[in-house]
Amino acid sequence: MNLKILRIGVRRGWAEHTHLLKDRKELITSMIGTVGVFAGLILWVGDTPVEGANVNAATFMTAGFLAFTVFGAGLMTFPMALTTDREEGTLLRLRTIPGGIPAYLVGRATTLMCQIVVQSVLILATGVIVGGVTLPHDWLTLTWVLLLGTLAVVPLGAAIGSLLPGPKTAAGILIFPLMGLMITSGVMLPMTYMPEIVHSIAQVFPLYWQGLGLRSAFLPDSTLAVEIGKSWRLPQVAGVLTAWAVVGMLIAPWLIRRVTRRESGSRLTERQLAAQSS
Amino acid sequence: MNYGAVEVLRGVDLDVQRGEIFTLLGPNGAGKTTTIEILEGFRHRSSGEVSVLGLDPERSTEAWRSKLGVVLQAWRDHNRWGTRQLLAHMSEFFDNPHDPDELLDAIGLTAQAGQRVGRLSGGQRRRLDVALGIIGRPELLFLDEPTTGFDPEARQEFHRLITKLATAEGMTVLLTTHDLAEAEKLAHRTAILVDGQVAVCGTPSELAEAVNTQSHVLWLEDGREQVLTTSDPSQVAWELHQRFDGPVPGLTIRRPSLEESYLNLIGRTS
Repeated sequence: MNLKILRIGVRRGWAEHTHLLKDRKELITSMIGTVGVFAGLILWVGDTPVEGANVNAATFMTAGFLAFTVFGAGLMTFPMALTTDREEGTLLRLRTIPGGIPAYLVGRATTLMCQIVVQSVLILATGVIVGGVTLPHDWLTLTWVLLLGTLAVVPLGAAIGSLLPGPKTAAGILIFPLMGLMITSGVMLPMTYMPEIVHSIAQVFPLYWQGLGLRSAFLPDSTLAVEIGKSWRLPQVAGVLTAWAVVGMLIAPWLIRRVTRRESGSRLTERQLAAQSS
Repeated sequence: MNYGAVEVLRGVDLDVQRGEIFTLLGPNGAGKTTTIEILEGFRHRSSGEVSVLGLDPERSTEAWRSKLGVVLQAWRDHNRWGTRQLLAHMSEFFDNPHDPDELLDAIGLTAQAGQRVGRLSGGQRRRLDVALGIIGRPELLFLDEPTTGFDPEARQEFHRLITKLATAEGMTVLLTTHDLAEAEKLAHRTAILVDGQVAVCGTPSELAEAVNTQSHVLWLEDGREQVLTTSDPSQVAWELHQRFDGPVPGLTIRRPSLEESYLNLIGRTS
């Protein structure tokens, strides 16, 4: 990929981002979707102390929702955008243009980063203003965990998106596994509340490690009592997230190429006719 | 060309010259879209030789891609983008693109420059698709059923646009259609595709000749209209003149229109 394509891609991503901000329906859904639920939960149970750790639920959940913002954007929003772009012919149009597909991927990644930044800032602000949460004490860790966490899920999201049948069914297919991961990964409830078997499963996925890394930036060491191994295990956080990023980056380009190669005008028409008649 | 278990194309031999407007005409299911998609490099063929601008589409390169313009039937993409914004974005990919504003003017969408693509009417959207197809000054433009769903006025306007652009740019245009009038009006040459084969190929008059449908010769005799169907109306007229030894009352020779020939051809082969 050359610099020209990179530049076009970033500009494309920024344009897509501003379109989303102008779209009132989209804006309200994403606000209420994550930030609204978060604010509601804080008002409801924010003052409850987390048992075994001397912080309240609001602080614990701020770290958890930050992790889930990245996770949801990478594994839900991104794959759904990809299937929509396939369905509407965006991918096909960019395929007819030299350098179109690389620019598209750069653009999507840019839009996603923008979305993650906006939502993270909103979550943090909601936590501070509504829940009285103290700001993280370790901004450096917060930043690298968010960045590495994004890199760990974006290629994976691309892979999922290229396997989904269509945008209408995508949400239904994705929502339950993601909710399941969210509950079992210790981002909403301390891990030590869960049975042993859940620990082993959750530690395979990137969400647990991202949540752990973010908690280390927010919470005092006195809350380590409710963490597995009584440690923030930051080297492992970096290791597991990097492993996911690498695996994703190896699979995703191949899957995306496969999807775009399968696209043609007549397939697009067939699908649109099928969608109209159903 | 095999497509799944069904053979879609067999023996499509075509040569399209540079700078020509060429139409692939045929009923639905004749294999027009399959042919054009093979040429665009979007579809794999099971056998045969294809060369587009000197290259096999299956071994396409970015440089080759940049010389092609593609306009498909079913695009609904980039609905949130502004009309001019999208045109400007797509122009960035090319080394020597058209000026987006000049192109907007050429397709008559200057007034819609700031409008969202999703708000354009069907005809406006198609014109924008054409503009996006030619933004990089392609040498060859593919148009797949460009006027489907157009009202007559929009269709005529569209034909004028294509002719104007092709003439001004010296661009080769390959378009598919199931509308004979469209092919007759736009194309320098037309190939009629029936059941995956080229039935006839040539200029409009060559087509009519090649199809060679029988003509009707009509005249008045014994107070009644007589009709004779023949492939050589001139010979019949000559014989009638000799028989009448002078002018033949009510002599009419009815040659089939291109449309009749076309319908006849589709009916004959299928």
